[in-house]
Amino acid sequence: MTLMTELIIIVAKVVFLALLFCMPVAVLLTWADRRQGAMIQDRVGPNRAAIFMPGKLAAFLVVVPALAVAGLALGLAWLNKIEGDTPIVLGVLSNQLAIASVWITLFVIAGRIRVRGVSNSFDVFVAALGDPRAVLGFGVLANVAFLAMFVMLKGTPIVATLSDVSVSSGPMLFALAVVGGAAYAAFNLGKLPRVGLRLAGTLHAAADGLKSIFKEDLVPPSADQFVHALAPLIAFFPVLVVLAVVPFGDALCVNSSSVVADFIHQAPRVCSGTLIKLQILDVDAGLLFYFAMGGTGIIGAALAGWASNNKYSLLGGLRAASQMVSYEVTMGLTLIGAIMIYGTLRIDQMIHWQTTHAWGIFVQPLAFVLFFTAAVAESKRVPFDLPEGESEIVAGYFTEYSGMKFAMFFFAEYVTIVTSAALMVGLFLGGWHLPFIDRQGIRIAVAGVVYWQLALPQVLVVLLGIGAFIGKTLLLCWLQLLVRWTVPRFRYDQLMKLGWRILLPISIGNILVTGLVLRLLSLGGEGVASVLSTAGDLTQVLIALLGLWAGTALAIELLKPAKHKKLLATSAARFAEQMGGIRSRRMGA
Amino acid sequence: MMTPLPLGPRKVVGVAVTRPERTGTVQAYVPEIAKGLALTAQHFLQNTKQWALGQRPDPILESINDGINVISYPEQRRPYPERFRGMHRLTQREDGSPRCVACLCCSTACPAQCIYIEAGEYPEGDSRRGYERYPVQFVIDELRCVFCGFCVEACPCDAIRMDTGIHAAPYDSREQFLFDREQLLSFVGRDGSSRTANPRHEPGDPTHPGVDREHHS
Repeated sequence: MTLMTELIIIVAKVVFLALLFCMPVAVLLTWADRRQGAMIQDRVGPNRAAIFMPGKLAAFLVVVPALAVAGLALGLAWLNKIEGDTPIVLGVLSNQLAIASVWITLFVIAGRIRVRGVSNSFDVFVAALGDPRAVLGFGVLANVAFLAMFVMLKGTPIVATLSDVSVSSGPMLFALAVVGGAAYAAFNLGKLPRVGLRLAGTLHAAADGLKSIFKEDLVPPSADQFVHALAPLIAFFPVLVVLAVVPFGDALCVNSSSVVADFIHQAPRVCSGTLIKLQILDVDAGLLFYFAMGGTGIIGAALAGWASNNKYSLLGGLRAASQMVSYEVTMGLTLIGAIMIYGTLRIDQMIHWQTTHAWGIFVQPLAFVLFFTAAVAESKRVPFDLPEGESEIVAGYFTEYSGMKFAMFFFAEYVTIVTSAALMVGLFLGGWHLPFIDRQGIRIAVAGVVYWQLALPQVLVVLLGIGAFIGKTLLLCWLQLLVRWTVPRFRYDQLMKLGWRILLPISIGNILVTGLVLRLLSLGGEGVASVLSTAGDLTQVLIALLGLWAGTALAIELLKPAKHKKLLATSAARFAEQMGGIRSRRMGA
Repeated sequence: MMTPLPLGPRKVVGVAVTRPERTGTVQAYVPEIAKGLALTAQHFLQNTKQWALGQRPDPILESINDGINVISYPEQRRPYPERFRGMHRLTQREDGSPRCVACLCCSTACPAQCIYIEAGEYPEGDSRRGYERYPVQFVIDELRCVFCGFCVEACPCDAIRMDTGIHAAPYDSREQFLFDREQLLSFVGRDGSSRTANPRHEPGDPTHPGVDREHHS
């Protein structure tokens, strides 16, 4: 690889991980922390920011992307026209996609009609189809029925015909469903005089950012001007940089000159060509780099407290420094056990160990809990937000900060959530790994017996891995927010006690026990090794079952109808009843 | 047999409140935190689902249910109750002129002294001259008004009402809160009418009790 291509790849990785993933997620978290935190208190939270536009423009904005997607689908189908017999897999795929796209569109429209009420003859027709859940049920049934037909009648001419028909008509049905759905939305939007674009309230985060930039930047006259300006940068920069050592996907293997052709083939077990690692900084010190850089963040908070020349700031800065130093110790020591097991400091190799054995959370469950606690404390958030304890020291070390400088401290807090979640995913939740998916594709095997396998192209496997990494990171971010919404703040002495007298001894105990168990297992020989490998496979089964259960439970919960009791006790309620209820009033229209 | 009520202070029987026991799980902290997290997560999922699918309870009709019972003002508004005292309006006669006869009862009754009326005589020859007057100016300072409704009670002619069902909008200067005669006449009641259901008995109508005690017209 030339220097130029390497540079382009590195820039692409930085852009993806920092600009497209970490920072947008952190921005959304600043909003979600308030919005969804409001949800647990039966409130609606910040959602007022909107871009108002005429209904006609909104309709146009809906139709154009839909036409583009439909055009793309049809164009791809046209360009890749197949001569002769169509492969059955392609037939099944386009068949399933076409049916699913039609019923999903109908399902969404039926749901909207249910919420907004019937307004034209098409609505009447869709409403007559019955409950949206019925549409969903019949849709899934149709998908399953066709899939069963393909499987049962394998090898017969019927399947070949069906496959041909599916491949030729599938893209058209898909395009029709997309354009039809968009046209329906556009028709309804076009009638409105004004539509507010709110993106479910997420636009509020953007508005907050803009506001911060334009706000006045106040610096106390007696503050150290230079250090006061430097502190937010020092607080913000390291927490973002640590993301460099966290791999966000499996390595791509490129053998020949044609990169595209290589990607759509399966990756070999041993790569003989060039390996593109999906990790910005590939160093042996991996985890050490993370802690070295992450530790620098302490200086930012301490400097901010010192430079402000305010007693509350100073108290906050001191609290932040002592708290972060204390928990940094636990963070490091909890990982010693994991490092002993993985035998490396490189996070990508740790993930490789987890793909072939078991996820870190199964081999070091205690370490996960300890590390999670320490990571929450490290990000100075509730219940460990004493450095900014409003009831005691105003706002702690950023009392004297305003505008974008304040926003940088605030933003750094949320970036820390994302980066620590990403690290925990790499250390304990198998990084990009999904159960039963390896470089060659899907392979369901327990204790050496292969039950089912399916080869997948390399690019698909890697994309699945990136998706898994992002999904797991978001899950851990959400868990950190959930902790904030639930647990009340500690007292300062309790915080120190928890750090030094509880977490630290437990983490040292964890190291001793891990070492002992590792030594005993190494004495066990072949028998123990095979038992361990089977246990590792069983953890994969457990994860897969847990995932299936969670998905099914969520789907069932989402489909449950909401039952509400009505109470008309006041004249205001009677007026509201005549209006057809308050809930159905559109926001921003 | 009836037992007489005891005289003197009644004996208070306390109820023993059971204190939560400091069991192992409570002291260990982690299980209790897990319980708390589960409870918050349940609330979160329930409310987020209802919000995302448009299933949340109607904040007025179904407000006795659990869930997000908030009104997103100003897009969503709680309708005011029937007897809500909102902005004033001057009711009209059949010909569109104010029913007000400029008797100054309302401005006299007003505790906030926010009503200013300049009374005018009808021209010579008008049948109403000497019988009643009309407001040349009728100004209400809605910023000073305390919305007590005394003016409505005081009015003998049903000429001033507070049944518009709207509240004063937030303006940016004090002058904008001074509502003059024409503005007050332009407001309509909840029923959309600028008149009232009470009939007015003009002099000369058979229902009119007479302009004076001697001569029934």
